[in-house]
Amino acid sequence: MTRRLAALTLALSVVFAAGTDVASQQAAATEWLVSRADVGRPGGQLVVIERAEPRTLNPVVAVDAPSKEILARTTADLIHVDRETQQPQPALARSWTVSPDGRRFTLSLRHGVRFSDGQPFDADDVVFSFTVYLDEKVGSPQRDLLIVGDKPITVRKIDQYTVQVDLAEPYAIGERLFDSVAMLPRHLLETPYTEGRLARMWAVGTAADAFAGLGPFRLREYVPGQRLTLERNPFYWKTDRAGTHLPYLDRLVFVFVPSEDAQALRFQAGDADVTTRLSAANFEVLMRDRGRRNYDLLDAGPGLDYTFLFFNQNTVAPNDAPQVARRRGWFRQLAFRQAVSLAIDRDAIVRLVYRGRATPLWGHVPPGNKLWVNRSLPRPSRSPDRARERLRSAGFSWNAAGALVDKDGQAVDFTIVTNTGNTERIQIATIVQDDLKQVGIRVGVVTLELRTLLQRLLTTHDYDACVLALGASDGDPSTEMNVWLSSGGTHLWNPEQASPATPWEAEIDTLMRRQLTERDVQARKRLYDRVQELVAENLPVISLVSPSVLAGTTKGLGNLRPTIFDHHALWNVDELFWRGRPAGGTR
Amino acid sequence: MTSRPQPAGRNYQVALVALGVVYLAAIFAGFLAPYDPSTQSRDLAFVPPTGLHWVDMSGTIHLRPFVYEDGRSYPLRFFVRGAPYRVGRFFQSDRHLFGVDEPAMLLLLGSDGFGRDQLSRLLYGALISLFAGPLGAALSVALGLVLGGLAGFFGGWVDTVVMRAAELFLAVPWFYLLFAVRMALPLRIEPQEAFLMILTIVAVVGWARPARLIRGMVLSGRTRDYVVAARALGASDLHVLRRHVLPQASGIALTQAALLAPQYILAEATLSFFGLGVGEPVPSWGNMLAVLQRYDVLSSYWWMFLPGGALLAVFLLYYLLADALHERVAALPG
Amino acid sequence: MRYVWRRLGHAFLVLFGVSFLTFVLAAAAPGRFGDELRLDPRISPETIEAMRVRYGVNDSVPGQYLRWLQSIARGEFGFSIAYNGPVGPLLWPRVRNTLLLTVPATLLSWLIALPLGTWSAARRGAWLDRLSAGATTTLLGIPELLLGLGLLLFAVRTGYFPTGGMTSLDFDELGRWQKVRDVLVHLVLPVTALTLAGLPILVRHVRASVGEVVRARFIQAARASGVPEPRLLVRHALRTAANPLISLFGLSVAGLLSASLVIETIMSWPGLGPLLLDAVAARDLHVVVAAVSCSTVLLVAGNLLADGLLYLADPRVRPERA
Repeated sequence: MTRRLAALTLALSVVFAAGTDVASQQAAATEWLVSRADVGRPGGQLVVIERAEPRTLNPVVAVDAPSKEILARTTADLIHVDRETQQPQPALARSWTVSPDGRRFTLSLRHGVRFSDGQPFDADDVVFSFTVYLDEKVGSPQRDLLIVGDKPITVRKIDQYTVQVDLAEPYAIGERLFDSVAMLPRHLLETPYTEGRLARMWAVGTAADAFAGLGPFRLREYVPGQRLTLERNPFYWKTDRAGTHLPYLDRLVFVFVPSEDAQALRFQAGDADVTTRLSAANFEVLMRDRGRRNYDLLDAGPGLDYTFLFFNQNTVAPNDAPQVARRRGWFRQLAFRQAVSLAIDRDAIVRLVYRGRATPLWGHVPPGNKLWVNRSLPRPSRSPDRARERLRSAGFSWNAAGALVDKDGQAVDFTIVTNTGNTERIQIATIVQDDLKQVGIRVGVVTLELRTLLQRLLTTHDYDACVLALGASDGDPSTEMNVWLSSGGTHLWNPEQASPATPWEAEIDTLMRRQLTERDVQARKRLYDRVQELVAENLPVISLVSPSVLAGTTKGLGNLRPTIFDHHALWNVDELFWRGRPAGGTR
Repeated sequence: MTSRPQPAGRNYQVALVALGVVYLAAIFAGFLAPYDPSTQSRDLAFVPPTGLHWVDMSGTIHLRPFVYEDGRSYPLRFFVRGAPYRVGRFFQSDRHLFGVDEPAMLLLLGSDGFGRDQLSRLLYGALISLFAGPLGAALSVALGLVLGGLAGFFGGWVDTVVMRAAELFLAVPWFYLLFAVRMALPLRIEPQEAFLMILTIVAVVGWARPARLIRGMVLSGRTRDYVVAARALGASDLHVLRRHVLPQASGIALTQAALLAPQYILAEATLSFFGLGVGEPVPSWGNMLAVLQRYDVLSSYWWMFLPGGALLAVFLLYYLLADALHERVAALPG
Repeated sequence: MRYVWRRLGHAFLVLFGVSFLTFVLAAAAPGRFGDELRLDPRISPETIEAMRVRYGVNDSVPGQYLRWLQSIARGEFGFSIAYNGPVGPLLWPRVRNTLLLTVPATLLSWLIALPLGTWSAARRGAWLDRLSAGATTTLLGIPELLLGLGLLLFAVRTGYFPTGGMTSLDFDELGRWQKVRDVLVHLVLPVTALTLAGLPILVRHVRASVGEVVRARFIQAARASGVPEPRLLVRHALRTAANPLISLFGLSVAGLLSASLVIETIMSWPGLGPLLLDAVAARDLHVVVAAVSCSTVLLVAGNLLADGLLYLADPRVRPERA
């Protein structure tokens, strides 16, 4: 009897040992990415304020910012651009090679990586993901980003952990192409894809176990209208230098606060740990109260957004009223636009609207975009006198009442439109209105609801001037092609031209196309510098300010390294940890 | 229940005179206001009210109050020359009731985010709001009176049709229509005109609430003995409506009007969120109040509440007037 | 009874009318779904247009309406383009949350307004009347958004109340009674805001109608030589005073889903309001129509209730052939 028991025990221990051996072999097979950040301690919960509810948790169809922000925490990409250094880093791809002509990328995938539901990740998932993104019937907005040289990229599986990506022509951004392209789980989504219902998968409210991702967190719970809770992904493929599995945080909670003022109040009361996109005015209020509260406020400096004024330079339609043609004529004169730019008091905008937390701009690339800004552009200071001189040179004059009149004696007046829901833009328009009054131009300010505004700007072209802002999430000029190409849809002052309307627009077209395929960084910078020069000279947009990125966090958050790139505080959420707090978190 | 007898008409007269003064002040805003409401003083943004002093630093009492600026004192002057303005279409002037010499600025109610004088904005903004509020109320209530009165008086299918239409009007989201209207309006019309058009639509569409309340009253009143008697004696429907039934509904109508006028003035604060209010730089009471709806203003700049005082005073006057009118109408025989 | 059936039939007509009119107005309004994507340079106009075609945004109004009706027949209540899913599951939790807020607020408003208004009417010119007039005027002069913001500021400064939301972060881990308490604590500020916002109208109407009755009695008593029978007069008085109040009550019920829009947004209450505002801004048609239809149901129910009460309170209000 005892002998049998001993044999059984022996057999079991052998099996057990073999089993653990296999398991540890599999575990050893996982190639962890080691983070270079400070070593922290696990535990705790981070509460983040989100300005709106996510519309979907499906990376294929997500277009709105809240959805993308949440998805960025639950998904991972092959090559990730480090938001602090701006350099591409290995993520799910542990290494890659580029062919000499720049058209072929061979990516070697990290071994032993698993999805958040435990299923393994390999090249089949990569090929599947790209198939989905590139499928026109699915209609993913990601598709536009994966078209190089007017052809979609092709992705082929070489072996279980190697994929080959081919581009139609060399692409200047190279491997940055792969940043934020989330890898999808084939084992969950292939069937819906073949049945044509992929777009409807993973809506908000889907049960948590129906999801699988490769990001540091996975979905835990969604309470409609209130919050979305993510929990640590136990299969995340990163560790810190001491070998602890990342992320440190147990939970990441996004609370939905639709009103900006309510966001500031919620943060001030201590009901949330992280708030980004604070307005300068609310930032000041929170600064004053800082002493009594437990939060830090961060001014990360000028961001990537740029606010500008632009005039309607569309071709006049034959059935437009003569007044419309006359006004369009003024706007198309460079001297007129230069005069307007000289008359605007950018410092007042920085001071009054942004309480000093913004930078005045004369070119469209803000100084926050350190890699691409052209620092040699002229910065003429505000001068109503020089503005008047420019106007005179263009044939304008002033009547007895002091109003500006054109060559034919018609008083110069126009309206600036801007959208509701953004008090800063309305304030900027009011300042511009007053500045132009000083040179005799009568300006009306009309605020329109956003979509009404866009209808006027982009469809009916029925407006005079507009104050608007654009913001790149990356800073790389390739993301702004549609703005600067004359055929682009976001070429706001005269969109979707069949052929360039002016010589400088033609030159910009050439430069932008060249920089897209130019792989030498210096040469690319020179090309884009020239684009900035042309924009600053010809003023299709009169750049005004770039607001600073303002955020707030509860004190004691380790590894917090705010950047001006999205997500300002959470880009390295897998490395964030609580200092000096019990591991379970206080909430 | 007892009630103290009120001196007949006293409240009525007080309210009427007071409102008259207010409206007169609104018309002569240019004269009463020390500055043009859109003049920006960018170094004086969000400045609290300037203090008026009677005693200077050496202890001397002056009869004429003065303002300190950079260590110097600037006495208050009357009938000063300032920014030009016009009253109505014809009368133009640049004389203001009071002011101080430059470079001092007299900001009795403080300044806003662009350094514009709040008192001047309050006075100039009064006219559009004091016009829009009662206009909106009058439109809604008048339509409600007619339609509700007809529905209640005739009953039957008239009542059914009008009441179902009222439900339709109450339920449909009209902001779509307002967006479409704003889109259709040319960009270049005066901000006040655009706003008035929008407000007119809101008021016309808003006939349903007063109509429901009035219809209820009229339904009850039309079977009263005197009404039946009058009809038996051959009085026409119109006559009966006018002399007997309408006075009954007037109480409700007046109460509604006194409630709606302030609501329409304040509605502008909400409408401006959708770009449907009075645009910059034209002041109105609605958009001055809308500024308060920002957290930083609410918590830091107490003087921005002061225009609210004027607002409340006018609302109280509307209420007293409506109340007094109600009393007079209720006292009529019938 | 036949009257009730007829009214129900009318109710359906109104519902159809409202939903169709909403579709028409939405089509007339400028802008379509996806417009704001044009400002994102990374998305091409072609992709946006393809999205619109897929969702049927460019279809004619009758076509879209028909599709919505079919969707109702399937029990989905429409398809939300923004959320990429049926409207029903989006809507019901919000409707419940809004009612959770507006029902207590409405009840509270009436409970305060009735005695306050009656007292003011009975003692016109007394200090209570003046105080009440001043208070209601002040409340009337404070826009709802300002009221909400002010209360939130109070919450931040004192820390007694949460600054928004309906439940705390650890709601799931609470016991049953603790959960109830949690929601109640979160309800305090929004209900206060809503009650204060609705009070002036109710108080003024109560005062006016009760005041009218009191005066009428007074005049009648003065004119009549005899003492009028108290019981008859009380019944008469109450009936007349009740008339506008019953209609007003019907309108209160009617507004249960629509009155709290602003408060819900500023206080992050997960109700119908923020969903509706977002859907209007995004031109997500089916969500708007569904939300409006829910409101319409309550509207019709409220009016039906009011008419019923009117009939009970005063038989002379009985529908009569003209």
